Amino acid sequence: MSAANLRLDLPDMPEAAAQLRLDVRAFIDEERKAGRLPPPERVGLGFSQEMTKRIAARGWIGLTWPKKYGGQERSALERYVVTEELLAAAVPVGAHWVADRQSGPVLLKFGTEEQRQEYLPRIVAGECGFCIGMSEPESGSDLASLKSRAQKVDGGWKINGRKIWTTNAHRVHYMIALVRTSVVEGARHAGISQLIIDLQAPGVTISPIISMAGEHDFNEVLLEDVFVPDKALIGQEGNGWNQVSAELAYERSGPERWLSSFRLIAELIDVLGPDARPSSQEELGRLLSHLLALRQLSMSVASMIQQGQTPNLEAAIVKDLGTKFEQEAVRVVRNIVSAENLTAHGRADRLKALLIHAQQYSPAFTIRGGTNEILRGIIAKGIGLR
Amino acid sequence: MSDNQQFFRDTAERILADRLEQKHIVAAESRVLPGELFATLAENGIFLMLVPEEQGGIGASVAEALAILKPAGSAAAPGPLLETMLGNGLLAQAGVAPVEGTIALAFVGADELAGAVTLHDVGWGGLADHVLVVADDAGRARLTLSAGADWLATPGEGAAGEPSDRLSAPSLPGASAVLDAAGSYADALRRAALLRAGQQLGAIEWSFTRSIDYTGERSQFGKPIAKFQVIQQMLAELAGHVLAASTLLDAAAVGLSETLVAAAISRVGDAADSAIAICHQVHGAIGYSKEYALNYRTRRLMAWRADFGGVEYWRGALARGFITATREQFWPAVSDAGLQGAA
Repeated sequence: MSAANLRLDLPDMPEAAAQLRLDVRAFIDEERKAGRLPPPERVGLGFSQEMTKRIAARGWIGLTWPKKYGGQERSALERYVVTEELLAAAVPVGAHWVADRQSGPVLLKFGTEEQRQEYLPRIVAGECGFCIGMSEPESGSDLASLKSRAQKVDGGWKINGRKIWTTNAHRVHYMIALVRTSVVEGARHAGISQLIIDLQAPGVTISPIISMAGEHDFNEVLLEDVFVPDKALIGQEGNGWNQVSAELAYERSGPERWLSSFRLIAELIDVLGPDARPSSQEELGRLLSHLLALRQLSMSVASMIQQGQTPNLEAAIVKDLGTKFEQEAVRVVRNIVSAENLTAHGRADRLKALLIHAQQYSPAFTIRGGTNEILRGIIAKGIGLR
Repeated sequence: MSDNQQFFRDTAERILADRLEQKHIVAAESRVLPGELFATLAENGIFLMLVPEEQGGIGASVAEALAILKPAGSAAAPGPLLETMLGNGLLAQAGVAPVEGTIALAFVGADELAGAVTLHDVGWGGLADHVLVVADDAGRARLTLSAGADWLATPGEGAAGEPSDRLSAPSLPGASAVLDAAGSYADALRRAALLRAGQQLGAIEWSFTRSIDYTGERSQFGKPIAKFQVIQQMLAELAGHVLAASTLLDAAAVGLSETLVAAAISRVGDAADSAIAICHQVHGAIGYSKEYALNYRTRRLMAWRADFGGVEYWRGALARGFITATREQFWPAVSDAGLQGAA
């Protein structure tokens, strides 16, 4: 390994992306003027089925997918532009986020034609959302130890098990669950498959898990003799681990990994003026340099995905850096707010509320979607240490 | 990387491999310039990189100059390499012919040049053939070129052990020229600091690669230390710094936007801090010995991060570009900062 291998090319942004960016900004302006997009007092992805419908009406869900499924066959870099504009404005995109980023692309890559026909046009229309059924109570970082079982029965599979930390399971329609379909002695990554579960099916029980930030985003999903038909199997039986690995570059490198706390920084900037003390300006400048670096990295990885590469090492680095940045952002904003006495005496109430919530939320940044320690294990492998 | 950048990098690596040995790096700490290296760089036109072709130079871009300076930093090359390269570029911008020999650079406020003049912490100041003073004259860059012999030098040294001297004269010697309208003092300082960041990145990458290799060579508790998770986690963290710093530096070198250059210098500064801490920790005691090559990079990082404004200055400059924005102006300001690929 040499550091020279650890290098990203600068992307070529397609011409159409500039117009697309302006279109998204115009949409956000309209939403703001109509009072549908107040400045947020919480960090993280909001959830609004109505907003998802309006975004879908613009054609911005499934942007890169084939036209025959309702997509527009535009590039990954154009999708990148749409997502970062929406996230930077804190548009609540949670209702379609997972389906657009991950579930749809998995179906395109591994699904059957029937599955694509059934789900993709509805995702594009903003009518159906997905959640990810990976973690289990006893299988967190060690995902391959999962115990949920799908047993082959006549015409389909019978699933028993328990999924946990399932974001939005109580609000979306389907889960792509990672379950064990066979036991292969000595090969723990084998025998795992991906199945689509209708969350309305008999035997599915969804219970809320309230986070320390007071939110109900997570759930525990109990699966008791849940029947899914044969056509619910994605890709090959037993190939689930490889399929999941292929998703991870999408999941890890996106702008959501460094834009969750963007509104907090925006509120600080709004309140802060040029008379801020030099130490505050230095801390802010340092934070901004990390923000700009992450944006450049994220765009470069989007460009690699566009070229058909699977940049798992680079994506793991973006998520490690991005989530650390988000925690650092909360710390820096807190320090500057304190040093400059910005929220005393009822000033800057929105900044104050957002900062409280961001502090409560911040431990999740480096845990959700794979802990940073696991990511660093992947990076270590990528640079030849294991 | 463009073909030109690749060519310049290969050229620099070849010259450094042929003309720079560890003994030269050590000798620089006794105020000896690596003469053969500098002669070969001059023969190859490296010091004319930033001089336009119509003025007899190579007419290279800043990105191409970085393709020279990164390997120079990686090799821990001593001497006023950046200073001579940029000094000739600045002279050309002011319509002055490039000079033979080495140049020391001093950035000062114009008010520091009245009467008896003292320049502090001038890299290789007492040994360079020429001293180029770049003065901030109400935002414009006023250049004054003098001979090294015109100055009384009080030797000093920086963290890397390279000369960092105090120069004094009863009055400012030499002839002055003012950069054309396009060349402000801030532009000159920005280019110097960005090129210095390139040298730092080279030293960071060398230290990172050496550390990875070292963890495979060194065994403790019966296995290579690379196999310990705690070592893996530290180097994975550093990998992130390397990737972020190099990507942002590349982007900054293309458009040279004020925002992006300041951001790149700041980001490289963090990568340097992390490289110093992690590479030494991974190496343990051996890395602390003067004989082992690591310190010749890490001490340069300590010295370089303070040059041409210093990392903290550029952080403040970056913040000042955003601090008056409203909450809704902030995102457009970020997305229009000149990142590559940003439409």
